[in-house]
Amino acid sequence: MAIQIDALKCIGCMACEMACGYHRDDGFALLSACIVTYRTREKKDYFGVLLKREEDLLIARPEGTEIKRIGVEEETDSSQEADASAKPMLLREACDLCKDMDLGPMCVRFCPVDAITNVE
Amino acid sequence: MEYLSGGKIVVVDLGTSEIVEETLEESLVEEKIGGAAITRHLAEAHADGNPIVIGTGLLTGTLYPATCGGIITAKSPVTGKLCHCPVTLKVALEIQFAGFDYIVLKGVSAKPVFLWVHDGIADISDAADVWGKDTWTTTDAWRKNMGDDLIQTMVIGKAGEEKSDCAQVCLNYWASGDRFGFGKLFGMKNLKGLAFRGMGLLEIADAEEFIELSLDMLEDLKESAFVGKQGIGDLCAAIGEQGAKEWLAPIVHRHSACYNTPYPSNTFVYIDEDPQRVTEPEQAEPGFLVTDLYGLLGFYKLNLSAKDACGLMRECARLGLDAATVAEWCAANGKQAAGDIQAALPGISSQATISGRGIFSPWCPRQPIWGAFEAAAQDGEQWWERRMAVAAVFGIHPLMAVMAPELSEADLLETATVGTGITFNQERLNGVIDYLLAD
Repeated sequence: MAIQIDALKCIGCMACEMACGYHRDDGFALLSACIVTYRTREKKDYFGVLLKREEDLLIARPEGTEIKRIGVEEETDSSQEADASAKPMLLREACDLCKDMDLGPMCVRFCPVDAITNVE
Repeated sequence: MEYLSGGKIVVVDLGTSEIVEETLEESLVEEKIGGAAITRHLAEAHADGNPIVIGTGLLTGTLYPATCGGIITAKSPVTGKLCHCPVTLKVALEIQFAGFDYIVLKGVSAKPVFLWVHDGIADISDAADVWGKDTWTTTDAWRKNMGDDLIQTMVIGKAGEEKSDCAQVCLNYWASGDRFGFGKLFGMKNLKGLAFRGMGLLEIADAEEFIELSLDMLEDLKESAFVGKQGIGDLCAAIGEQGAKEWLAPIVHRHSACYNTPYPSNTFVYIDEDPQRVTEPEQAEPGFLVTDLYGLLGFYKLNLSAKDACGLMRECARLGLDAATVAEWCAANGKQAAGDIQAALPGISSQATISGRGIFSPWCPRQPIWGAFEAAAQDGEQWWERRMAVAAVFGIHPLMAVMAPELSEADLLETATVGTGITFNQERLNGVIDYLLAD
């Protein structure tokens, strides 16, 4: 099972980010989420979703999805990375597909527009 | 207050620079529930300092759908009444996690300042470098100076500094629901604005049950009448302005939502860029996020092109002017050419037309949007005020309050009870609404 993100369907509401934060912290917080809405290009309205997985970073941009392997030098270049938050993505735990949750991946459950889905 | 809360109130005296932190007592939450009822209570308690009170709703920043809402409560310098302006986008979310549920700003600063609220700390900071600057430059400067592009701001432009009656407090770069001249009040206090950033955590009394209720509500909303609609254009059509939707369509880039809000009510238009472009634009400022239905309709009715209208709304936001009131003023003064309006903007000081009693902002339509509300058919005004009050207490997006009957008072009360461990019932909510709607 894997998570698939359609950035063009995304409405940037951050529900996925909070749902992931809840999974990590058993409360409402954003700091530990491994899926984030990147939203720093606010004046350009350029936004999408970033997901940290075990071995790579999935960057769902409006123009398409990009996968970057963790450890490759350019990934730490702030001009290349889809900057997301004060806590760099690479320092966060990778997505575990909410394996301990009966409800399944929380980001999938809470996305109001089904921009995040499960694929086998 | 242990759950769904930072547990703190901060009282800032701009005159003396004294900052006092207080505990948000559970007894106050039991009595007033939250949001606008507590901001009103604090405004009354500090009335001698002509306060601006900023707060979040009881459910703001949670996973319960549509909980993006915050509140600015103050005595309007235009209407003279204590009233409430909604805070949307991601600003209230950031307030919630910055560590204070409520912020009271009283008195008048001797020099331009802003309040920097972050991680449980509130600092009065010098705003001399941004005084005289527009809202966009100011938000950019604060984000750059503090080194964090996700800082959320409430900010005034030159209109507020010069105490225009239609000065508006803007959210980051965009228009807000401020029709009450709160921008002027900020200016009167030499308060350029507030910047928020926080990494807090909200604990939940019964987390599993809260999540279950939130998911149940989301599933209900996914079947709601608004599904399939999006953006400000569909909102125009819903209130009988189909022409405005069609007029705007050629420049629409994308729709986006406020925090955890299923309906994307904000529409970004590209004014200086191809609206169909999906890659990151090279231009730094290619367009404008339309967040204000009546501002847009006001300019539409002046027979401007959509590009000119949205360009003027962008200029209003930069100056910190309420676009709806500006459009009213233009219509009344025969200004219909974009160039004439642009030239007149810096000097406009006109009072907004506030329908109804002026307790809640007319930024939100006074009618059901798609959703079927039985009470609205009986007494529309009473229904609208009650829905606005409920939204402002719990932190629900005002537009969702007139769009989604699924967001019922009973469901909100149950979720609030599960989340906080405090038993809230209908009788308590009725009392809180009576308090909010009393003159």
